[in-house]
Amino acid sequence: MNLRENEAKVLIALRDLGGKATIESLTKTTRLADAAVMRAALSLEAKNLIRVSERSVTKFSLNEEGRRYAEDKLPERQLVEMLIKMGGEASVDDVFRAASMDSGLATIALGWLIRKGWARMESRERRIRVLGNPEIGSDERLLSMLKVAGSLILENLDDSLKEAFKTLKGRKLLIVREESTKEFELTDEGWALLNRGIEIVEEVTQLTPELIVTGKWREKKILKYDIEAPAPRVWPGKKHPYLRFLDEVREKLVALGFKEMNGPIVEISFFNCDGLYMPQDHPAREIHDMYLIKDPEYGDLSPYMAFLERVKETHENGWKTGSKGWGYKFSLLMAARLILRSHTTSVSVRTLISDDLEIPGKYFAIARCYRPELMDRTHLSEFNQVEGIVVGEDLTLRDLLGILERFAIDIAGADKVKFRPDYFPFTEPSVELSAYKEGYGWMEFGGSGIFRPEVTLPLGIDVPVLAWGLGVDRLFMMRAGINDIRYLFTHDLDWLRGKEMI
Amino acid sequence: MPTIEVEREDLELLLGMKLPESIEEIDEILSFIKGEAKHIDEKEIHIDVKDSNRADIWGVEGIARALKGILGIERGLKRYSVVGGSGVTVYVDPRLRDIRPYIACAVVRDVNLSDAAIRHIMRFQDKMDQTYGRGRRRTSIGLYDFDLVKPPLRYTVSKPDEISFVPLGFEQEMTLAEILEKHPKGIEYGHIVRQFDVWPIFIDSRGKVLSFPPIINSNDLGRVTIETRNILVEVTGTSYKTVLYTLTNITLALADRGGKIYSAIINYPYEDLGEVITPNLETEKICVNINYVRKIIGMPLGIDEIIDLLERSRYGVSEIVGDDIVVEIPCYRPDVMHPIDVVEDIAIAYDLNKIKPRWPQISTIGGLLPESRLRSLIRELMIGLGYQEVLTFTLTNKTVLFEKMNIPPERVIEVANPKVLSMTCLRSWLLPSLMELLSHNTHVEYPQRIFEVGYCVLPDEKQPNRARDVEKLACVTIHSEASFSEIKSALDALLSNLGLKYRLEETVHGSFIEGRVGKIIVGGLEEVGLIGEINPQVLENWGLENPAAAFEIDLSKIWKLIKIK
Repeated sequence: MNLRENEAKVLIALRDLGGKATIESLTKTTRLADAAVMRAALSLEAKNLIRVSERSVTKFSLNEEGRRYAEDKLPERQLVEMLIKMGGEASVDDVFRAASMDSGLATIALGWLIRKGWARMESRERRIRVLGNPEIGSDERLLSMLKVAGSLILENLDDSLKEAFKTLKGRKLLIVREESTKEFELTDEGWALLNRGIEIVEEVTQLTPELIVTGKWREKKILKYDIEAPAPRVWPGKKHPYLRFLDEVREKLVALGFKEMNGPIVEISFFNCDGLYMPQDHPAREIHDMYLIKDPEYGDLSPYMAFLERVKETHENGWKTGSKGWGYKFSLLMAARLILRSHTTSVSVRTLISDDLEIPGKYFAIARCYRPELMDRTHLSEFNQVEGIVVGEDLTLRDLLGILERFAIDIAGADKVKFRPDYFPFTEPSVELSAYKEGYGWMEFGGSGIFRPEVTLPLGIDVPVLAWGLGVDRLFMMRAGINDIRYLFTHDLDWLRGKEMI
Repeated sequence: MPTIEVEREDLELLLGMKLPESIEEIDEILSFIKGEAKHIDEKEIHIDVKDSNRADIWGVEGIARALKGILGIERGLKRYSVVGGSGVTVYVDPRLRDIRPYIACAVVRDVNLSDAAIRHIMRFQDKMDQTYGRGRRRTSIGLYDFDLVKPPLRYTVSKPDEISFVPLGFEQEMTLAEILEKHPKGIEYGHIVRQFDVWPIFIDSRGKVLSFPPIINSNDLGRVTIETRNILVEVTGTSYKTVLYTLTNITLALADRGGKIYSAIINYPYEDLGEVITPNLETEKICVNINYVRKIIGMPLGIDEIIDLLERSRYGVSEIVGDDIVVEIPCYRPDVMHPIDVVEDIAIAYDLNKIKPRWPQISTIGGLLPESRLRSLIRELMIGLGYQEVLTFTLTNKTVLFEKMNIPPERVIEVANPKVLSMTCLRSWLLPSLMELLSHNTHVEYPQRIFEVGYCVLPDEKQPNRARDVEKLACVTIHSEASFSEIKSALDALLSNLGLKYRLEETVHGSFIEGRVGKIIVGGLEEVGLIGEINPQVLENWGLENPAAAFEIDLSKIWKLIKIK
């Protein structure tokens, strides 16, 4: 029978491995690539020399908690070691303290300690006593094997380790995946052929420059490939899916005539609050919490003195804005307090006082904002907002609603929109945008409004300014079908690699 | 944004009509007063009131007042008036000037409060104390059974051990100092007065204590029950205007429940303040131009329509002079500071969803910042080199930035009020964020090649905000054969495609292996970053088991160099 070079190699390797092997051991023995082994094996199967079967295996590795235990030992081990160190007997509270465990972990450790029979609890006195010399259990052995190997295949383990797998899995320390692997076995015909003896005939698998230049390729037979055999997987470099979405949003806003603007992350309160007519000691200042800078606490407002004076007067008595003002004593120091930008509106304030401001003009920014919130499915302490302002004579509430509608439908892909009255200290009227998308229902997207005269006039702007600031993170979640906002900043490389681009 | 719980039956009683059953329909109605129905059951409706400047609707009475207009039950200005003097005079001690200088009082007679009404008044009082009163620091409210009080009253001071009385909810007498020590309210609010030598006290002509503002009322006089017919309302605080407004609000809530309002005389000893009569229920007037209304809303509203909308928003229309409407503002609406506030109410009463959206008829040319274009180029190149883009937080901590990177700490921008220990400062360089990400992916297939373009923030005394945002690029390759030459190839490809010539200069840096790290010098002078193989100590710190090589570049310097070209 005429065998190709790789086929012969695989056949011989299979014999050397006892007639039955997995693809992993074959690639190791033959030093051929996965795909090459597969190709050879499939043609050997066609020639009835081997049988290829698929076997599903359970592959598992440690999760974060598991890795921690692999590093620090299981909590019950830590506890029993501490107990031995303390003379083999101690009160529960003392040993917990000595092992410096929090109460949650301590309870777990104690439970296992008793369950494994390493110690006995004198429950009346709340004392524990070590029983004998606690041996290293199979669960601990498996833990250290995993620490070294990274991942293991369940089916390859002996029975005691299989038991240990169940224990660790039950303790939620493992990441378990079902995978399928190919297995190859020599048929009787295969054995017979090997027993008759086979020789390895050299063949051209790879066309080389030499063969081309010398023209020798004409004399050789180039190996036939199984073009359906799987190829090795490659991970292309890709944009982060969320950042790609932000690129799209930028593109669309530019197409709608918006110019990009920018501002600093560490902000002076003046730009984030006071310039926006947010009173200094009033619930309206606290529409959300802000991060304060530790050192230095205050920035330098001297370059903005002209604006600052007018803003101060506006807060105190309305200045020339036609307003009564808030009617309190404005603190220049408080306006100089350094914070982390809590909304992108600070960027709009900077744009409005910029010499480059064009009227009429449309501006936008997509920027990171910061609020001291505990992170959960819907909150991040660091998130992105998309902010826009439209400055021009004759702009009205109708135009504001027009922009919101366009944004929700064109950019977020919503089906319809709804407006609700809202409150911000810096806009009047203020409008909240809700958008509806089939399959998602109604979703709040953020706030908008016309800047109050108390905001624009002190900044030297005497035409209407329409402003909107929307939670762009939510837009993306709607688009990408993500329901946990923390995924935007995920550390999960598998997800980033595997996320489809469509 | 205050959340208010109202009892459906109580609200319906105040409105004089039944509310719809479903949460959607109630929410729809509440949207007209910037409220949102958060939760609804058989008994209660929980409302988020978004307007943090309209304390009048933080209570069920005010909500009913506003909704009556929207629902067309009652229109126009609701006029409240003082029936007469209550005979109460309050003498204010000059020593309060720097402690808690202001007080305002009113007497509401002939009230007949149900249990529900008392619960609501208490909730409203608490909401006012917490938000508007800034946790009782700026203002706090006290209610008393007026029939037990003997005027004239004195708002004076006492040493902590001088006076004792039975505080609300207790049975034995306590000194003021003991109240701060033992009474739950004393513990909660004691910090407001503790710094002073003498503390505010409110007593009647017999020397009976009404309250120890802003901490606690007396158990004898300061308790309102369903039997109470005549109520003395008192507000003390540090802001004159807020004290007066708070009194107005609470007095009107009682008046809405059938009470009649009587005034009190406050006798101030301060140079700039003498005798004052409270409450002040006078209205103010504001002139709103019809064309201004049309210009803001963008709809051709007729004058009758505007007047109708004003009355549904519970404004009074005094007169019309040419194109000007003289609008009378209710005494409970100090949030109306400018005609624009009236315009908004007109727009809301009109219904925002009836306004036809229009794309602004102005023509502008859009454009990106130059940095954004360059950033795209750089990201494109890194992706072409096979690197996966990642996105990480700019907030981090010094352990990540320095300790784990095996370098001495530097000054960074820290926040004074961190929420979690892992986020205490802004990052000064990018590579630690990438190392942290890699440390969470040791189970993922190698080779791993990642990059990020992101902001770092550095302290900078020369800037008004004492900081400078620096956009950086960092990339790492990590796998069993990762090496200096691999990462140098990437750097080479990147910089040459940007048309920049560079050289490397040997240096020492704890994060990298000695002898395999260099400064990246562009254009002969400017140091723009670092390149090297990661120090195994750093790999170990991050729990990484493969060699890694990385570079980090300050893109703000690259922008400048490219602009110069």
